[in-house]
Amino acid sequence: MKKYNYYLATCLLFLFSITTLFAQDKEAKIILTFEKADSLNVCKAFVTSEGIPVSEVSVNLAVKRLYSNLPIGDAIATDSTGVATFEFPNDIPSKNGKLTIFATIVDDENYINTETSGEVNWGTIVVINNSNVEERSLSAGRDRAPIYFIILSLLIIGLIWGTLIYAVLQVFKIKRLGNANIE
Amino acid sequence: MSKDLENKENTKYETFTQKEYMVMKDDLLRPIEKTGRVGKIWIGFLLAVILAGIYAYYLQETKGKYETTSLRDYTMWGVYISNFAFLVAFIFTGVLMSAVLKLMNFEWHRPLSRIAEVISVAAIMMAGLSIVAAMGRPERLYHLFINGRIQSPIVWDIIVIITYIAVSLALLLITMIPSLTTCKNHLQNKPKWQMKMYEILSFGWEGTEAQWKILKRSIRILIVLTIPVAIFVRTVTAWLFATTLRPEWDSTNLGAYFISGAFLLSVAGMILAVFVFRKAYNLEKYLTPMHFDKMGQALVLMAIIYIYFNINEYLVPAYKMSGLHKNHLLNMFTGKDAVFYWSVMFFGVVMPAILPLIKAMRKPLPLTIISIIVIIAGWLKFYLIVIPGLAHPYLPVQDVPASWIHYFPTLIEMTIVSATIAGMLLIITLFSRLFPIISVWEVAEGKLEGKEEIINYK
Repeated sequence: MKKYNYYLATCLLFLFSITTLFAQDKEAKIILTFEKADSLNVCKAFVTSEGIPVSEVSVNLAVKRLYSNLPIGDAIATDSTGVATFEFPNDIPSKNGKLTIFATIVDDENYINTETSGEVNWGTIVVINNSNVEERSLSAGRDRAPIYFIILSLLIIGLIWGTLIYAVLQVFKIKRLGNANIE
Repeated sequence: MSKDLENKENTKYETFTQKEYMVMKDDLLRPIEKTGRVGKIWIGFLLAVILAGIYAYYLQETKGKYETTSLRDYTMWGVYISNFAFLVAFIFTGVLMSAVLKLMNFEWHRPLSRIAEVISVAAIMMAGLSIVAAMGRPERLYHLFINGRIQSPIVWDIIVIITYIAVSLALLLITMIPSLTTCKNHLQNKPKWQMKMYEILSFGWEGTEAQWKILKRSIRILIVLTIPVAIFVRTVTAWLFATTLRPEWDSTNLGAYFISGAFLLSVAGMILAVFVFRKAYNLEKYLTPMHFDKMGQALVLMAIIYIYFNINEYLVPAYKMSGLHKNHLLNMFTGKDAVFYWSVMFFGVVMPAILPLIKAMRKPLPLTIISIIVIIAGWLKFYLIVIPGLAHPYLPVQDVPASWIHYFPTLIEMTIVSATIAGMLLIITLFSRLFPIISVWEVAEGKLEGKEEIINYK
């Protein structure tokens, strides 16, 4: 009897796996559109499956950074027209002003994972002003120490070591005097 | 010429009372002549601790600091740097008990000055080694020379430590020149290398008037030089803390506070050293109860000054109790470190300011016991400055592993620390076995007060 139960459970599990696998098998397509409404950047993800808009599918938005993607807010579900609308921040730094935005569907019950990306000119160009790197300062590198600091340090070190060397050299005079006496 | 010299010598010895000098010389050279059993056991013990320390350092460097020490992101210095600050404090024995007393013509410095100077030299050498142990891989020291920035406090530290080693060694060796001639002339049955060493280091000393003049002048220059350099060393040590981003150390008081602490510790260290040398080498005739009485008074003075700076350091921020200091201060005043903090404050700061006020407490034994307590409390005081200070950074501590917050030194760390202290004691011990620990000529000169000065005792 027990053996039979085990067999039944395995069969059910197998059937369940097959159904879930087939249920997820549907492909979805995301079309990203970028709009500017007043001062707001709006990003719309239009999700279709087999040409029909799909509602209630969670879409994640992210922007490409140097090593990985930075998520923009939480996932938003598509409305009855199949559109998920995101408000995109306008202070994301970028080298040339261009940002690569990703819309993804991840771990959905009915659709397999999908990703779409688009490029848009919404980045804030970062101006790097390195002109002060050449300046001498306390926080600069070893070859950019302030002149007054170098002079003062060397003066103190020189003064102390000079006095020390002078005092030690005197001792050799003692030796010379001793030698002279012996002679 | 030699006949002339002989006549001169005779007259000089007569004014000095040669008998007195010969007795003194024998007394002071005796410790070099023979090392007793206790002395050998003591040296063996110190060597064993040092070897254990070297092995611990080898383990630390081969297995990695994360495995072998408790040092983490917050408490990144740990017991190595607190021990470093403790060792640096002892350089002030040379400043106070030798330089200051000599410059101010306090006659009682005479038998003490060499002990003080050798403690200074040993302390600064071991302090330098402590920094290397704390840095981790030893080649970092080389990188510091090659890539160091003159603007960085760690580079100042290396510069001042090297300078102080040079100044204190020069002072010690130059002051020893006449004593080494005494060793050369009077010690027998010593190995050849030892006699050769006396020969070289005595720089052809003949004791002529011209030589005395030069020697005294050199010594005077060096004792004047040693004071500012020692203050530099101690202040830069304090600045290593003051320039690190921790609210506890964000204080303009830190340099003076560290110096005052160093003065107190160095008097305590000196009392202990004098007591040990007096007993071990039978030097009761030279290191008298009078010296303990004076050093006891110095201990009170230094403790009172230290109390003043402690009030500045703790009570002023406590009065304001700003958000930055609150955590740390309350932790010490009433929190988890309270018992530790108040014990250290009582035994290390308040007690030495009160007990030696009683005359009976300034006798050798009670004063030495007080000093030992002050030294232990002094070590713990630096632990208290470094470790809770590091554990309270500016930014709130959030979501970090428990080992980052709670520091307790590992056996490996403590073994290395013990080895540095043993190293310091070994240098002092070996020095006293090779050279007269009490300056024969300085004591002799003191005995001449009111007599015509002799210049040619050898």
